[in-house]
Amino acid sequence: MEQNPRPRSVLEVCGEEIIRIVTPVSICMVLVVILVSILNGDSSSNLSSITTMATIAYTESSSDSIWDKLKGALLNSLVFVVVVTLVTFLLVLLFYLRCTKFLKYYMGFSSFLVLGFMGGEIAIFLVKDFNIPVDCITFAILLFNFTVVGVTAVFMLKMAIFVTQAYLVVIGVLVAYWFTLLPEWTTWMLLVAMSLYDLAAVLLPGGPLRLLVELAMSRDEDIPALVYEARPVIIDIHNNNNNVDSTTPNAQRRVWRRRGDLDENEGIIIRHDDSSELAAPLIQHIDIPPMNGNVEEDSNPVLEGIGLGSSGAIKLGLGDFIFYSVLVGRAAMYDYMTVYACYLAIIAGLGITLILLAFYRKALPALPVSVMLGVLFYLLTRLLLEVFVVQCSVTLLMF
Amino acid sequence: MTVAAGIGYALLAVGPSLSLFTAVISHKPFLILTLLSSTLAWLMSLIALSAVWRAFLPFKTVSFWPSALLILTSVAFQELLRLFLWRLYMRMEEMLDAFADRVSKPRLFITDKMQIALAGGMGHGVAHAVFFCISLLTPAFGPATYYVEKCSQMPFFLVSAIIALAFVTIHTFCMVIAFNGYSEGSKIDQYFAPVVHVAAGMLTLMNLASGGCMIGIPLLYCLAILTLAYCGKMVWTRLTEIRSRQGDLY
Repeated sequence: MEQNPRPRSVLEVCGEEIIRIVTPVSICMVLVVILVSILNGDSSSNLSSITTMATIAYTESSSDSIWDKLKGALLNSLVFVVVVTLVTFLLVLLFYLRCTKFLKYYMGFSSFLVLGFMGGEIAIFLVKDFNIPVDCITFAILLFNFTVVGVTAVFMLKMAIFVTQAYLVVIGVLVAYWFTLLPEWTTWMLLVAMSLYDLAAVLLPGGPLRLLVELAMSRDEDIPALVYEARPVIIDIHNNNNNVDSTTPNAQRRVWRRRGDLDENEGIIIRHDDSSELAAPLIQHIDIPPMNGNVEEDSNPVLEGIGLGSSGAIKLGLGDFIFYSVLVGRAAMYDYMTVYACYLAIIAGLGITLILLAFYRKALPALPVSVMLGVLFYLLTRLLLEVFVVQCSVTLLMF
Repeated sequence: MTVAAGIGYALLAVGPSLSLFTAVISHKPFLILTLLSSTLAWLMSLIALSAVWRAFLPFKTVSFWPSALLILTSVAFQELLRLFLWRLYMRMEEMLDAFADRVSKPRLFITDKMQIALAGGMGHGVAHAVFFCISLLTPAFGPATYYVEKCSQMPFFLVSAIIALAFVTIHTFCMVIAFNGYSEGSKIDQYFAPVVHVAAGMLTLMNLASGGCMIGIPLLYCLAILTLAYCGKMVWTRLTEIRSRQGDLY
């Protein structure tokens, strides 16, 4: 029917960057929801035994009045935010004093703890739940191997990108699952407090994360942190013949660009010389893993419109993955309808943040918009939508 | 009744949408984004409707006129939203064309525009299926099942999945028809979507009567097949007309 294959339409090109970030965020959320459904099936009765930094000030019990719970949750989140702020300032100080090696080793160490201990604990729960016949020694060997590969993936920049991305998602899932074990009011208050903190820390002139980003930019270094970097996409613009375009639907080359150097592949010349590669993410040390609450993008200022530079590599801090998944996991503990509503809200918030990123072209906090939208949709769904939908469905009235 | 049954019900409701997604939408990132935004928009419409109706729910006795009013208002609101989405889509089309010019790619083909409408409609269908059927499936994964009095031949989950499948089809293809109608100015196409939507909503009122679902659901499927056939015919005539005009079709 067609003499020559049709040229690629703009629908296949536009928006690819966003999808590259939305997919791992969605996978992380789905895994956390599945874990929560499998493991937290019984009532949350074991919560009072967990004393963490987030519950130091107040341990919630279901017999307290609403006002008490509110006050207690507020106190808890305040303590948490204060600790996180202090640790972030400590991190800025260390970065300023050029203790980068120490920070990298700490990063590896915390990944080891998360993957080894938290991952091991969750694996043991799963083994118990499903009665998987595995002995201690095999389990220990498998866990150890898994952990060590994860640590090298986080450490070494030359690992296959898919492995690094997969391990970052796994770390996000494990930490998010741990957070969902906190009491309910504390979790929600914590999410709101962290998004406000993120907003302040990134945008205010004295904020620790902003200082970190400016330091890293002025020195042209990467911030040593756990960051998810989506694979950059290169649009072949100078190639005049249509051969490359027509061979496969995804004929664009995928390149893992290391900082500062550009690859030149046969016949395809990367048009953009991106010297302003901004180092993205920002670390908050909690008790164990470093986390980040920030979104970055490097892209050529020539391409605007929908705002996605063709060489852009969007980086999203792991803290964002974690808090999004905590929100959705908490919603899963109520009902699945809230899960779907919160998922859509978070993706919408992420989309809005990415569009703002294309506009402002500097480090932006990724938590506030998504978390606020997520909490709003959770409340709206729980209070309003559920009754409406159940009423309609049970009487089989649909529209 | 078990995990298998739960997954079965879910696939019954969204299976065809999943195939459509994998075949058409998943290759084009922009369509995935359109699907997600559309689902969000229809979710917001459901939330707005529930905010308005919350004070009157739950109905103590389910009778004809309040339910009819509920459905009529909801359908009216959703059709207004469809008009609003069309305006948004026109703005988006201009931006996409400008972007295409900048990166020296061809402008939007007619099939592209139809695919965007398809993704938008599928967002509507998926929003319906997810919120009216799938989010209520959680008990179906457990050891028991649930029957509704008025339609006791099949488990409630099965009935709602079947109805959801019909509605997904109707919503998905009505959007294509509606957008085509707005862009061409054809009155029949423009009124097709609201009329079918109201008719489908009214048909579900039959489920209020005991045993009514035995008549209502086949009629609903007739409506869905009508929508499918009409959309197919409309797309076919449009494409052949353009092909004969241009002599070369992408």
